[in-house]
Amino acid sequence: MAHSPEVIAELEDKANLVRRNIVRIFESSKQGHAGGTMSSVDIVTALYFHHLKLDKNNCDWPERDRVILSKAHAAEAIYAVLPEIGYVSRDMLDKYYAFRSQFQGHADRWCTPGIDYSGGSLGQGLSFAAGMAKAEKIHTAIHPPTVQVTTANYPKLILKYNPAYRVFCIVGDGELNEGQNWEAMMFAAKYKLDNLVCIVDYNKFQLDGPVEMIMPIEPLADKFKSFGWDVREINGHSMREIIDTLDLVNNLYGDGKPKCIIAHTVKGHGIPVWESVHLHYSRLEGTTIAVKEGREIYG
Amino acid sequence: MAKYNKYVQIGPATATAGAAETAMVKVSQKYPNIVVVLEDMGMPGLEWFKKNAPERIVECGIAEANGAVIAGALAAEGFIPFIHSFSFAVIERAYNQIRQSILVDRFNVKITARDAPWGDLGISHDIVEGIACTRCLPNLVILNPADAVEAEKAYIAMVDYVGPVYFRMEYSAPAPYKIFTEDYPFEIGKAYAIKDGKDATIIATGYLVTEAIKAVEILEKEGLDVGILNISTIKPLDEEAIIKVAEQTRAIVTAEGGTIIGGLGDAVASVLSESAPAALVKVGVEDEFSQSARLTAEVDELKDFFGLGAKDLVISVKEAIAKREQFKLVRK
Repeated sequence: MAHSPEVIAELEDKANLVRRNIVRIFESSKQGHAGGTMSSVDIVTALYFHHLKLDKNNCDWPERDRVILSKAHAAEAIYAVLPEIGYVSRDMLDKYYAFRSQFQGHADRWCTPGIDYSGGSLGQGLSFAAGMAKAEKIHTAIHPPTVQVTTANYPKLILKYNPAYRVFCIVGDGELNEGQNWEAMMFAAKYKLDNLVCIVDYNKFQLDGPVEMIMPIEPLADKFKSFGWDVREINGHSMREIIDTLDLVNNLYGDGKPKCIIAHTVKGHGIPVWESVHLHYSRLEGTTIAVKEGREIYG
Repeated sequence: MAKYNKYVQIGPATATAGAAETAMVKVSQKYPNIVVVLEDMGMPGLEWFKKNAPERIVECGIAEANGAVIAGALAAEGFIPFIHSFSFAVIERAYNQIRQSILVDRFNVKITARDAPWGDLGISHDIVEGIACTRCLPNLVILNPADAVEAEKAYIAMVDYVGPVYFRMEYSAPAPYKIFTEDYPFEIGKAYAIKDGKDATIIATGYLVTEAIKAVEILEKEGLDVGILNISTIKPLDEEAIIKVAEQTRAIVTAEGGTIIGGLGDAVASVLSESAPAALVKVGVEDEFSQSARLTAEVDELKDFFGLGAKDLVISVKEAIAKREQFKLVRK
């Protein structure tokens, strides 16, 4: 079922709110992983404000959908969302990188309510997501569900039956250089983890330069397919494409295939000064210009 | 025969492998949330799982990096995952994965590994740095039992404890003596004085406790009363017990089946230099890798080559006593 233009417009507003929060984060921290944060904003917004099964009053709800931010340096994108859900106080937006802050340099499960994975060492998130998805399968095998979840009590999903939870893993394109991703892909296909969705934030740049020069990963869709995954390619900045594709792969649950959404994005998207140079990490003086630009655009 | 403390009854050599097997079957029935995460290298108690709980087997293949993180994730979801292989693979190949995806969040993963400098497999598999490379990792408990009785008890205690544990198995070593009685009360973090002594103390771990017992018997005949402190929890280290024996004898020999750089010897040295000055001689593998030796005939030869046998310990004890006199250290 196609979503109405109002739903799309509302989510686009939310994405701009997330960008505004990110600008506020950078205003106080003065530095951070700008490029990969901005490229993932629309994906993160679609997940948290539209797609995920969450309990706003309980970030540890056992049946919540999991989000594994494998590219944990882009934590600012999720940090910008968490106060809007109510998992952390809004003051935290001014405490990124700070000592004893809930907003650590990289996403940290131990410190931050609503964060499912402590990342930062690249290439491990997809394994962790696959492990969580496998855990759901083992739980279900040991304790088969007695109550079938129907569209009535969870109307967003049109399913014959549902997993207890789904796992969404956001990986960067550069981190696909790590061999462990491909171990995890084999594992996910072997165990038919159709409750796992890997979203590649394909912004085409890594720290040293363009992905195609540093370590080419193409043909990426074919690689995932050959590993036994269901693959979709989308524009990662089109809200409609993102939510339609998330709904689509949800409805494929039961086909025994892990899902991959390759989201073509732009590094630094939404802040012209970052976008123009595909910036990976913003430092002091550059941040001041970016924050000024961000304030003008997002208020 | 020297006089040993309570719960010690020296018996014939008994392999520890069977103890882990027995313990795994026991704990797997007690904890229905144990899952075995395989890395194509088997697992103690695997046959029981195949027969009784195949849904709790997760095979990752020869992909230890993935295996370690899968285990962390399963622990995050309430399972007690076990990973097992040779230590070079399960730990060293996945060192950062264990750090990042298990230890950082204290996930309740149990790591068991074949880890010893002696064996038939050669430099790749016979590891000297197993203790040294894990001791520095925060949030990790490290166990290294001395005999089959302690191995079974430690294995069960590891599962009762909530948090990441590394359980070291010196499988390929010559089997250790049966040392403890069945009612020996094992506790994580507690060292146990197998024998008291007034002239010197051997602080040993794992199979080297057996060599320490042999050494003490030789020294007894020469008129020296030497104690043995069994360190089966490498971390957290029982500093109190070490200080106690150090004050009693002021002559300490550490004995371990691994490198002396960063191992038990260095851990004890830190305690002594900070809290209880004593003469120290570290016995272990010097700064070198291992090599293969045919099981079991040549392993003793390899052990002697590394200077890890009873007769090396005898020499080291005398050296420690001489140092004590030279340093003019006074016993309590």
